[in-house]
Amino acid sequence: MADYSLIIIGGGLSGLAAGIRFARFGGSVLILEKHAIPGGLNSYYFRKGFLLETGLHAMTNFAEPGDKRAPLNRLFRQLKLSRHDFITHEQFSSLIHFPGGSTLRFSNDFSLLQEDIAARFPGEIDGFNRLLAAVNGYDPFTPREWISTRVMLGRFVHDPLLTDMILLPLMVYGNSEEHDMDFAQFVIMFRSIYQEGFFRPDGTMKDFLALLVETFTAYGGEIRYNSQVQSITMTDHRASHVKLAGGETVTCDAVISTVGAPGTFAMLSLPRQEEKYAGRMTFVESIYILPRQTKKEVKGDHTIIFYCLSDHWQYRQPAKPVDTSWGVICFPENFQGMPLSDYFQIRITHAANYDLWKKASSLDYAAMKQEWGAQSREITAKIIGNYQQNIVYEDSFTPITIERFTAKARGAVYGSPVKVKDGRTPCSNVFIAGTDQGFLGIVGSMLSGVSIVNQHLLKE
Amino acid sequence: MTRGEIKNVILEIIADIDEDADMADLNPDEPLRDQLDLDSMDFLDIVMELRKRYKLQIPEADYPELATLTSCINYLEPKLKAL
Repeated sequence: MADYSLIIIGGGLSGLAAGIRFARFGGSVLILEKHAIPGGLNSYYFRKGFLLETGLHAMTNFAEPGDKRAPLNRLFRQLKLSRHDFITHEQFSSLIHFPGGSTLRFSNDFSLLQEDIAARFPGEIDGFNRLLAAVNGYDPFTPREWISTRVMLGRFVHDPLLTDMILLPLMVYGNSEEHDMDFAQFVIMFRSIYQEGFFRPDGTMKDFLALLVETFTAYGGEIRYNSQVQSITMTDHRASHVKLAGGETVTCDAVISTVGAPGTFAMLSLPRQEEKYAGRMTFVESIYILPRQTKKEVKGDHTIIFYCLSDHWQYRQPAKPVDTSWGVICFPENFQGMPLSDYFQIRITHAANYDLWKKASSLDYAAMKQEWGAQSREITAKIIGNYQQNIVYEDSFTPITIERFTAKARGAVYGSPVKVKDGRTPCSNVFIAGTDQGFLGIVGSMLSGVSIVNQHLLKE
Repeated sequence: MTRGEIKNVILEIIADIDEDADMADLNPDEPLRDQLDLDSMDFLDIVMELRKRYKLQIPEADYPELATLTSCINYLEPKLKAL
């Protein structure tokens, strides 16, 4: 008999969700996490007494308890977590800011976006409402060929400025393709961001991860940290055991890998197929901590600002290390009912070029961080006002940091533009869950873990 | 198990799956899915819970037999008779 029925590679949100789902019905399962703490992309660290979260700006897919069909509540039922005990804080409102004073606001009340579109683009509101009807009537989970979102949007919205304004938040929060996206993915993102909306859990990502790990181990699941998987060994075309970096082997009946398609293929000694499966969209992010009394000096009423200051917004890998002409400005404290602390944060994200960061020497790398950080602060000050003088602590991460901590090839946070929707690999008992399976965001990646377990391991 | 006992087991499993389930007005001959607003993922939980509790293997082809409370009882009665 194998040591475990299931081994899960990666203790991020999809791996933990898959683990809880499998352990809940009595299956023996081991999660192998290469870092010292869980979370993967959505984790946390401590610096100078501050707990800093990685990844998370906001959770998407807000739903009130009791709305049974909402993805968030379905996820909680699947993991047997009480939605009523899970305290959430909804966003204030968010802003889409484009050149020429073009702005649109949205919140968890969809009518705000409709009102702003009607006011700023009066000729487009009927088309937008028809787009809404099309989104509502579309099942994004039916398997189909790739459909161009830009072509589909063109049937409803004619002003290219409005098209870009609608697309920017949906793309930057989950699109692994450049320029365009699959319409099914657009529908998922439109619902999760505009129709359901942003929130954050009460407490920190550390607390949320602790809840998941506690639930998992209470069902008998085991998790090992600092355990990097080196390879998955096959016997008679099936995975029979995994080999850890230290040389130890653990036997199993099935494997779920959450390290992305290229990383999983490499563990199976198959070609990584990076040219096909590695995404090109990666980002830099800066986190600034400022004293709370200085918040009145910035225009900081929104939760998230999606901005573009260029007349030609391009969602693609920039030719320079960082493209500061567009980006995301997040105020992580701007959620309803959050306790006040002595400090507040500003987090700023821009598209970046992996290759330019990768080839930099360590000296250049530090200088690039400085240079691009300064440029980013200068540009974002045009939108929210000067804040640079009040920064008491700052940290930043680059595509290289993302690659190191999340195992995502080329630091592509949203994984491969080619999704492995059924989670299957060339090896019949090895499955892919998480970003490269196709669901995005915290709720999405957790549903990915759940659905792969349901589909391939429980229905037998 | 009697039909009454099987019914109680099903209701108990549903209550365990869905903290918001309102079973007071449940019509035993109407689909559970519509009345409780549950989806196929929730139905898998009923199957898995029966497997865990009674070592009962329900093949996927038989899932439609679990559509209503009455059809659940009809389907499970011979399988749980000995318990």
